[in-house]
Amino acid sequence: MATSKNQTTPPAAEAVIVGGNRIPFARAGGKYSSASNQEMFTAALEGLVARYGLQGERIGEVVGGAVLKHARDFNLVRESVLGSSLSSQTPAYDLQQACATGLEAVVTISNKIKLGQVESGIAGGTDTVSDAPIAVSEGLRRALLAAGHAKTLGARLKAFAAIRPADIAPLTPSTDEPRTGMSMGEHQAVTTATWGITREAQDEIALASHQHLAAAWDSGFFDDLVTPFRGLTRDQNLRGDSTMEKLAGLKPVFGKNLEGTEPTMTAGNSTPLTDGASAVLLASREWAAERNLPVLAKVVDAETAAVDYVHGHEGLLMAPAHAVARLLTRQELTLQDFDFYEIHEAFASTVLTTLAAWEDADYCRTELGLDAPLGSIDRERLNVNGSSVAAGHPFAATGGRIVATAAKLVAERAAETGRPARALISVCAAGGLGVAAIIESAADGSVSTGSTSATGSTSATGSVSTGSTSATSTTGTEA
Amino acid sequence: MTVEELGQIPPLGGSFVRGASGSGVAAARRVLPGSDAPQTTTLPDTTLRVAEVSTSGDDVARRLAEYERLVGERPSETMPAGFLHVLGFPLATALMVRPEFPLPLLGMVHVENHVSLFRPVELGESVTVTARAEGLRGHRRGTQVDLVTDVTVVGDDSPAYTGVSTYLAKGVHIAPAPEETERPEFVPPLPTARWRLDARVGKAYATVSGDRNPIHVSVLGAKAFGFPRTIAHGMYTAARALAQVGPARGDAYDWDVQFARPVVLPGVVDVSVRPGTDGVWSITGWNARKRLLHLNGSVTPR
Repeated sequence: MATSKNQTTPPAAEAVIVGGNRIPFARAGGKYSSASNQEMFTAALEGLVARYGLQGERIGEVVGGAVLKHARDFNLVRESVLGSSLSSQTPAYDLQQACATGLEAVVTISNKIKLGQVESGIAGGTDTVSDAPIAVSEGLRRALLAAGHAKTLGARLKAFAAIRPADIAPLTPSTDEPRTGMSMGEHQAVTTATWGITREAQDEIALASHQHLAAAWDSGFFDDLVTPFRGLTRDQNLRGDSTMEKLAGLKPVFGKNLEGTEPTMTAGNSTPLTDGASAVLLASREWAAERNLPVLAKVVDAETAAVDYVHGHEGLLMAPAHAVARLLTRQELTLQDFDFYEIHEAFASTVLTTLAAWEDADYCRTELGLDAPLGSIDRERLNVNGSSVAAGHPFAATGGRIVATAAKLVAERAAETGRPARALISVCAAGGLGVAAIIESAADGSVSTGSTSATGSTSATGSVSTGSTSATSTTGTEA
Repeated sequence: MTVEELGQIPPLGGSFVRGASGSGVAAARRVLPGSDAPQTTTLPDTTLRVAEVSTSGDDVARRLAEYERLVGERPSETMPAGFLHVLGFPLATALMVRPEFPLPLLGMVHVENHVSLFRPVELGESVTVTARAEGLRGHRRGTQVDLVTDVTVVGDDSPAYTGVSTYLAKGVHIAPAPEETERPEFVPPLPTARWRLDARVGKAYATVSGDRNPIHVSVLGAKAFGFPRTIAHGMYTAARALAQVGPARGDAYDWDVQFARPVVLPGVVDVSVRPGTDGVWSITGWNARKRLLHLNGSVTPR
């Protein structure tokens, strides 16, 4: 690269993942039905603070957000920071990119760390559908605004007179795409039909999600990733005893009136509405070493893509297929160069349509501009500790859950094998968006500059110690 | 053909009152045997014309904004073709409520609409609007007529917009009907959108378009013409589909729509708006549960 010849430009720093913390995810209307976004995010932050001894610490920046957010929460993340035991000199801002909010927050923090603008950062997200903001109808809102703008009593009364009985009904937030009026499930049902994904294949993904997540909980994998909240100690949606028979018995809920197709998407192989929050601690290697903090992984690179779903050219949730293709090309990696694949299960079929797209030579050529298909992946490496179908998907909190899980997985694998391990993360989002990221185990401390090698070995020690404890639990999983 | 100049676009409210009474007269003529009133079977040989209609007032700007919001057009000072249709509609209606017009206004069904937008018309430009009736012809269920509306920017030689709205007067047989052709079975495509239309859509579009035909705004009015409840304006559905094409339609385009079954409100319409390989956008709207076609058509960039 041209910059490597330029001696005045220092090599970019590494952004490492120290660890993560989330609260267990609750089903909508469940344990967190009265918890606000701010309360949940503060709880996730406080767990992280406690785990890594960050009391009073001035973190470089905290970035996160919520997809369903009340207007009063304009500074949701900063307010959460102020309510936490981090230094109140910790700056923060809200970010929102639908279901990719959490992952995009990780990407933006890691970029600032790589640029040297911050030494540390916390990325995360929170969402509640139970405590969702409720808005007044458009008619009532316009009447109230007109009354507010009115200068005379008469004008004000006239504005109120425009209110119709039907305007009184409140508007609850919906997951419909604003531009198409179709719910995400209906969109995915069209994509599922287009790719000919079977019901059985979706149920298999769903079952694996529950089984893997249950095994991970049983093995203690989440012991240092989750803090109990409001009496909930495990993800409430988890059904470790689910079976193919039970899943097969569920009625389809999406795509029921699509011409020439049988509906295949059920409540069992789709993600339930969920409440929860998550946070991930990122830092420069030096910052982590100075505090004797472990280093699980480093953020290698990321790519965000968007697709034209409005005119049916591409499926709503297919953007990650594009993001991954561009990311692999830039990093000169193949799809098979990964130890773990974390593909967010918005629906079981989202995973399957994405995998099918990568295997399809024609699609890879015409849509992704590739000479050859990306090919298939080893399914044994896919969502090995479960994903959103089992855990639930509190929109903005999912990215943090996945990144922390993937970081711990690669750290464990590297500790086991003595070789670096790599994970590919892909998260689809409303609006035809998708974010992909690559993370790699970072215990070896292979920093490009010699001056940091000392701190690199310190962090390696920290990382190995985490790795070895969790390696035991991995063995437990396999048993 | 004679050109009759009007000082201003006639208000639609008056037209509907006249249309209602005129429809009564026309109906009476048809049902009363031996009525000495002569049955009109030809179209008036008149073009109505209003010169230099200003679009610079706040009221037009406000109405355009409301129109854009309602049909999902992006905010713009350029008037979408559907808004030009709305501007010209009162003039076409004024022609249809004249005593010499052979078909009753009320109960007429909009069956097709063909628009050519040759150049964009900006808010603030003055336009000349003309309306004439053409092509009185038989249909197996009644009689059809085309109302042709031109909108010409003042200073231009040729129209910026030409709209041809085809209406069917059901049960009025004053011209021989052509041979019936077999309609192909409707096979719904995969949807790209879904419209959930509540009962207020009829009134909302009536407000911005001025088309207060009772079948759209009054349940009783709708029942009187054989509909279970109010029905959506065909042009509302066509305008939403046009908006859904988005900027890809360009500044100038043809917009052709055929209306099949009406959309009874409230109702859900599955929609497909997709580009074809030839650059022509196809538009389809249907009832997925009943497999009934509501509208189909195309948008062709010029």
